[in-house]
Amino acid sequence: MQYFLNGLPIGAIYALVALGYSLIYASAGVLNWSQGDMVMLGAYIGYLLYRLLGINFVVSLGVSMVAVALIGMLVERSVLRPLRKRQAPAINMVIATLGVAIISRNIALVIWGPDAQAFPSPVGSSSVQMGSLSIIPQDILIVSVGLAVMLFLQYFLGYTREGKALRAVAQDRAAAILMGVDVKNSDALAFAVSSMMGAAAGILIAPVFFVTFNMGSGIGLKGFVAAVVGGLGNIPGAIAGGFFLGLTESMAGGKISSGYRDVIAFVLLILVLWLKPSGLFSRRIHQKV
Amino acid sequence: MVRDKKLLSTMVISMLVFGVLSLPGYTRSLNEKVLKIGVVGPESGGSAQLGQAQHKAVQMAVEEINASKGAGDWKLEAYFEDDEGNPTKSANATNKLLQKSEVNVIIGAINSSCTLADMVYTERAGIPQITAGSTGADITGQGKKWIFRTAVNDEFQANALVKYAVNVLGIKKVATLTAADDYGQSGAKLLKAAADKYGLELVATLTYNNGDKDFKPQLLTIKDKGAKGIFLWGLYTEAALIARQAQQLGVNSQLFGASGMAAMKLMELGEQAVEGMVLTQSFLPNSWDPKVKDFVTKYRQKYNEDPIPHAAQAYDTVYILADAIKRSKSMAPAKLREAISKTSWLQLVTGSPRFNGRGDDVGKRLLITKIQDGKFVFIKAVTAGE
Amino acid sequence: MLIGIGSDLQVKPGKSRSAWIGFALAALAVMVSWVIQSSYYLHIANLIGIYSLIVIGLNLLSGYTGQVSMGHAGFFAIGSYVSALLTMKLQIPFWLSIGAAALVASFSGMVIGIPAMKLSGPYLVMATVGFGEIIRLVLVNWTPVTRGAAGLTGIPLPSFLGIQVTSERDFFYLIYALVLVGTIAALRLSRSKVGRTFVAIREDELAAEAMGVPVNSYKVVAFVVSAAYAGIAGALYGSFAGVASPDNFTFEDSVGFLSMSVIGGNRTIYGALLGSFVLTVLSEALRVFQTYRLIIYGIILILTVIFVPQGLSGLARQGFVVFYRRKTRAASTKASLKEVKNR
Repeated sequence: MQYFLNGLPIGAIYALVALGYSLIYASAGVLNWSQGDMVMLGAYIGYLLYRLLGINFVVSLGVSMVAVALIGMLVERSVLRPLRKRQAPAINMVIATLGVAIISRNIALVIWGPDAQAFPSPVGSSSVQMGSLSIIPQDILIVSVGLAVMLFLQYFLGYTREGKALRAVAQDRAAAILMGVDVKNSDALAFAVSSMMGAAAGILIAPVFFVTFNMGSGIGLKGFVAAVVGGLGNIPGAIAGGFFLGLTESMAGGKISSGYRDVIAFVLLILVLWLKPSGLFSRRIHQKV
Repeated sequence: MVRDKKLLSTMVISMLVFGVLSLPGYTRSLNEKVLKIGVVGPESGGSAQLGQAQHKAVQMAVEEINASKGAGDWKLEAYFEDDEGNPTKSANATNKLLQKSEVNVIIGAINSSCTLADMVYTERAGIPQITAGSTGADITGQGKKWIFRTAVNDEFQANALVKYAVNVLGIKKVATLTAADDYGQSGAKLLKAAADKYGLELVATLTYNNGDKDFKPQLLTIKDKGAKGIFLWGLYTEAALIARQAQQLGVNSQLFGASGMAAMKLMELGEQAVEGMVLTQSFLPNSWDPKVKDFVTKYRQKYNEDPIPHAAQAYDTVYILADAIKRSKSMAPAKLREAISKTSWLQLVTGSPRFNGRGDDVGKRLLITKIQDGKFVFIKAVTAGE
Repeated sequence: MLIGIGSDLQVKPGKSRSAWIGFALAALAVMVSWVIQSSYYLHIANLIGIYSLIVIGLNLLSGYTGQVSMGHAGFFAIGSYVSALLTMKLQIPFWLSIGAAALVASFSGMVIGIPAMKLSGPYLVMATVGFGEIIRLVLVNWTPVTRGAAGLTGIPLPSFLGIQVTSERDFFYLIYALVLVGTIAALRLSRSKVGRTFVAIREDELAAEAMGVPVNSYKVVAFVVSAAYAGIAGALYGSFAGVASPDNFTFEDSVGFLSMSVIGGNRTIYGALLGSFVLTVLSEALRVFQTYRLIIYGIILILTVIFVPQGLSGLARQGFVVFYRRKTRAASTKASLKEVKNR
């Protein structure tokens, strides 16, 4: 039970990051390897506002999400758009976003230095004991804010004009263009929303993980795994994949608990891909072919 | 055909560019009394905190020594190269320092894998190399001639910690939770040997991968196995996370740690959770020792942060070199090596260095400390035999 | 030798052959320019040679067949460790251990190639990333054999045909001899039926399948060949560096190889040589910028993939002016392939 409780918040974080991968993949058809570093940037901007300037947590969260969304749009405009214009192969996008990751990581290193920075939890760090279970307020915050952001995303995709356009592009880019959807805008929007969710993940996890310049690489990779498990481009799949990964890690870590834990995880992942090449939780993918 | 000509010309041009790049750098007259020190370390990448601390400490020591004529007639010059914690890059950096900057001695690297890769080239070139941060057993265990180590000895630390746990705290059941890198793996091995030696029951030997942030699964396992003490072997960021998560899960075991995590940053990050933790370390930032006080004050003034143990070790290493060049009066590698190996009677921040036949510094003292009210409190000092 | 190549150039300036001569000359230029230079440059040149071998293999896999791998450090690691362990523990001669490294690496290429054959795009990327991580983690944790995170030290210097390799210069000849052989083999393969089938699979897998091409077998073959290249490179690396540890074979290293492949142009063989050369030299040259080094590196990486989308070999091939006329490229490649075949 404790393992389950521990897996939930980390699962929510993975889900937020996985959503970022999935959304960009769905709409723009590319893998954005700088997703993890958007988490890092979000955490640092949050750290700057909340810890250094003493601004209210909710405001810090909001400002950081907007700021990172702008960075995401900048990435779209300065990297994805020129690549599209030149009809560059998909692999170039992979390399370019890896370049973005290298740049943001090292800018953070130059600005904030190599040391981890503490980020005090807005709800305190002492845990509440319920029987044999420890409940940590920050974990509740992570899960609830994480779920709120996911719900907001669902609302946005389902009920707003921009969101609907984004979904249209995700389903059929060519048809969307014919129907008069501005795909450039929707790409920018996908990057903005994805980065925003990354930033939220960053601030939420900062009190638990601290803020470091290279925190993006680990979270980014895990988020990618979650997105793949859920079926890339599949929004509910990404959420399911995130929680699935968080919970499995927590459960397996408790039972296997050795250096081979991740080996087993990756072997299973490859086997899953072999048997079900488009993700564990994918349903619609066959229609897309 | 035209196309191929272009290919050909591109290739030739790129070769030419390389040729220009490879023109020999500035050369220096031989009678100038300058000792060139090459410094290799991870200034970016996962262990950047260690590499940057080394950079800062060496820079500071060089400036101090030059200002105070601490190396007699000799002037020190430091050349820094980043290895990103990658052995291939580290070997490149070492080659550059040896061939292009023409350094007389190398300080570095920090990651053991990097130091081992660099040693291949310092051995081949016959240039002394001192690592102030690598603890791997293979570094001095291979019987190489040109390597020295000023990093604090891990076996010594593991024994001191285990002995303290048994004899003073009376703990019987313990677990180890160590990083799955060279530092952590060798620490785990040494802790196990020490536990066997002093009759401690080791109920769990767990590891984590560098970059891991969630240690709850391991901590819950330790809790289930009923360990009363947890020995950590890794760096302070992870140690602080482990301590905090242990507190949140209600794991009340006594925590032990080695010098790799003994930094003021541990208290800043770990807050309440690291209170009571027992650590061995090579120097105390708030010590009464004037050498240490002086170092810490200057470092704070210059960089506006607290020095970590790696910084102190790197700082001392430069002083060892200044002393060696004063005695050898020559930059000839063999003479310099000889002088370094005969280092004695120096009183430095981390002890009084002297090297054994393998190149290990056995003059380090070790302090057993405890964290109380956000400060390291001195418990007792241990000195190493051979 | 110089005269031989020179006269050949004058007598028969055939298209494919001149590409050859270009390479041979470049290799010669390298040798000449380094005879007088310091061993730091020889060291970097040797590293470039080793990377070239990996990237040639990577190009055959991702450029020709269209299967992107972000786990090539895994094959590289297998080559290093197999060869190093065989020479250290069983005193097997170096040339045999290179063969063994290639063999074991290709076998692992088959093991990952089989599940990978059904995958494409991000799913394939995921599988290969997973493979690379599995290998690295096994190296870290299988301490009795791999000595854990500390890695292997004291890997002996190789001797080849009775000649003991000791200096950077000796390594230079050994490595570039293998690079030359590797390049010729890769060019031959790329112009053979197998190579053309690789390209057909990349261009249209369904069509190739419809034409009766056993697509899956070819995909696995591409993995096997690619892994063999990385395995040989790994064997060379181990004896060259004298040490091998898991830190040499990280995800970042895989990403580096892929960047070399893309920057050099992954649809040609000599693109591999260009890419390894440019990125290795770049990362060394940027050392003067200290802390800002990697930021600049990232910027250059992005600018290159944007403005030279087909890689440097594409640029060199098309000349600086006509490089925007990309559409004609595929046709001309096919034409030149046909011509090669007819000759």
